[in-house]
Amino acid sequence: MLKFLKQVTDYTKEAVQAARFIGQGLSVTFDHMQRRPITVQYPYEKLIPSERFRGRIHFEFDKCISCEVCVRVCPINLPVVDWEFNKETKKKKLNHYSIDFGVCIFCGNCVEYCPTNCLSMTEEYDLSTYDRHELNFDNVALGRLPYKVTEDPMVQPLRELAYLPKGVLDPHGLPPGSRRAGKLPEEILEEAEGNGAK
Amino acid sequence: MNSGIDLQGSFIQLLVDLGLSAEAARVVWLPLPMLLVLVGATLGVLVTTWLERKISAAAQQRIGPEFAGPLGMLIPIADGLKLLVKEDIIPAKADSLLFTLGPAIVVIPVFLSFLIVPFGQNLLITDLGIGIFLWISLSSIAPIGLLMAGYASNNKYSLLGGLRAAAQSISYEIPLALSVVAIAMMSNSLSTVDIVQQQSGYGILGWNVWRQPIGFLIFWIAALAECERLPFDLPEAEEELVAGYQTEYAGIKFGLFYLGSYVNLVLSSLFVSVLYLGGWNFIIPIEVLADWLGVSESTPWLQVITGSLGIIMTLLKAYLLVFLAILLRWTLPRVRIDQLLDLGWKFLLPVSLVNLLLTAALKLAFPFAFGG
Amino acid sequence: MNLADGVQIVSFGVLALMMLGAALGVVLLENIVYSAFLLGGVFISIAGLYILLNAGFVAAAQVLIYVGAVNVLILFGIMLVNKRQNFVPLRNAWVGKATTAVVCLGLFALLGAMVLSTPWAISTAPVAGDTSTVVIGLHFFSDFLLPFELASVLLLMALIGAIVLARREFLPDALEREQTQQPVLTLPERPRELASAAPGSPDRTLGTSPTKRNV
Repeated sequence: MLKFLKQVTDYTKEAVQAARFIGQGLSVTFDHMQRRPITVQYPYEKLIPSERFRGRIHFEFDKCISCEVCVRVCPINLPVVDWEFNKETKKKKLNHYSIDFGVCIFCGNCVEYCPTNCLSMTEEYDLSTYDRHELNFDNVALGRLPYKVTEDPMVQPLRELAYLPKGVLDPHGLPPGSRRAGKLPEEILEEAEGNGAK
Repeated sequence: MNSGIDLQGSFIQLLVDLGLSAEAARVVWLPLPMLLVLVGATLGVLVTTWLERKISAAAQQRIGPEFAGPLGMLIPIADGLKLLVKEDIIPAKADSLLFTLGPAIVVIPVFLSFLIVPFGQNLLITDLGIGIFLWISLSSIAPIGLLMAGYASNNKYSLLGGLRAAAQSISYEIPLALSVVAIAMMSNSLSTVDIVQQQSGYGILGWNVWRQPIGFLIFWIAALAECERLPFDLPEAEEELVAGYQTEYAGIKFGLFYLGSYVNLVLSSLFVSVLYLGGWNFIIPIEVLADWLGVSESTPWLQVITGSLGIIMTLLKAYLLVFLAILLRWTLPRVRIDQLLDLGWKFLLPVSLVNLLLTAALKLAFPFAFGG
Repeated sequence: MNLADGVQIVSFGVLALMMLGAALGVVLLENIVYSAFLLGGVFISIAGLYILLNAGFVAAAQVLIYVGAVNVLILFGIMLVNKRQNFVPLRNAWVGKATTAVVCLGLFALLGAMVLSTPWAISTAPVAGDTSTVVIGLHFFSDFLLPFELASVLLLMALIGAIVLARREFLPDALEREQTQQPVLTLPERPRELASAAPGSPDRTLGTSPTKRNV
């Protein structure tokens, strides 16, 4: 009988504890309701991509020496380099170059290894099209420069979380001259050089 | 006791004064409340879907619908229009008759249950003697529609979802009914009007929550399970069953399921507010306020205020519960099917039986407080 | 004839037609799922007839118990036991059919005779209406006490039986062994133990312990 009573009390305790935990969870959810939304309303507001953002790849046709390093370092050999050997100058002549961004994973290996720096990353990331074949960029399309978010009059640029002043979580309505938390890279560099001079 | 406004009486009197026979006047009156409640229920669903979106967004620090109308209030209308004009697809290997019948069978009983929801002394379609029992029996029809939809879709996920929905409905119907029985025992009646009457007189202190706290919790949990709201939304568990019995549905038939589930939520909240939160009663009894101000109870403007306050209070309580349901949705994770049935059969059922026995004992011991 | 009477007669006709049609469908349709759903239609029509007889409580109970519980259980049974097999054509199948026909006709004749012989006098007692729940309760605890209690004992027995069936430990061992020997519902997969027990098989990484894998 006592054992049974103990079971009943244990069960009741567990039930009460479960109810308390549910109440705790509810209070957390309720607390979240009065926080400001962190939504970035995309087509009208855009986050400023960070310096090392890996977006759509930019290609400079004239710099390319058709070495095909980009093809070799690419995980899936994606770039298509169409060249022919010019016997008179004994140099490769590039005819066409293309990358299919429907397949590219934006790993940046090609940019990293390109010996003449003719490949570079841009800030462009909204590549949506109605046909996936339109994502296959040829050398003309690859050579276009994207709009900068900060210069687009249609878009309100917003800073990313790491670029906000200390303690600020909401990028909306920052005062114009506000600085990000911590030192800027050039400041760190300057300090290091100053130390080195001493 | 017949206080408050008698809309039916005055309307018929008006028509009779205009020269119609009493019979014809009644015929003209008959469809009006039904139409009103139907429109009201649909409007309630629209508001609920908007609230669901906005509150969900707030709980997740988003904005939610914003551009369709002020504060995105037109988004439910856009939703409904979209579902209306979308193509109505019936899968090739589906059983088209049962496939079409399923959503209708799910929705009709829910709307029928609005027959007995009181918004005031005389503000309900019909004050049936079986009252709340009608709701319990009508809500037991829905599983048939769910099974029908699940079977007719010719899809294993649909069938599993339908079976789960039916199992869940049947299991949680019992604790629901038992906690309603405890209420009926206290108010000596099944009629919703009598149940609210019995809670009036002492303001907030007279509400059934204080006398039936366990029953209130059981009823709310079981009602959430009946509505397939999130801690218990196994029949349409996205990760396991795609969308359960709704998987193959599109267009207006899916819209009917959607409408049905939200009407059910609003209805359950209304019934919780009627059974446990004093229905149309204000926090302080109106009669006391009127006495205090020295206004006679039969003053026309006081009656109008009482009537509208009743409607507002009922809706306010119901939407408070809807808010709680939405908050619960974003707080609790989904339970597993065995946990669900364990909770239903091994926890809620014994506890509600104990609650029933306790109520009976208390009624015998303290007849003045527990409606002897 | 006033409005209420007209509505009553029309609804009676509709309900009776619905009930007869659905009942015939239950018996005559080939698809058993259709039959089960139509059975729900029969129960609903009967509930409608109860409402016409001013017995709201009985109608609601009919819907709750027969449509909400019995019919759903039947549907569950049908949908969970989805065994498709062709029936072996019996010789002398006509004997069974003939017996069925005779029994059915006999039952029909019996019921018909009873219907014809009963004096269908309309009761002059006042209609119970909304107080019918009280009247039913009084009958349950006075003159119908024995059937009521017997029914509850029957339900209790069914409940205990279901629990015994659900708890496997009370089943005799022989039955279980038979079941394990004939695995009917297994996936066409290789058993996991076999793959790990065979040393040197190419796919033994699946079964080996993590310490071995790290070596």
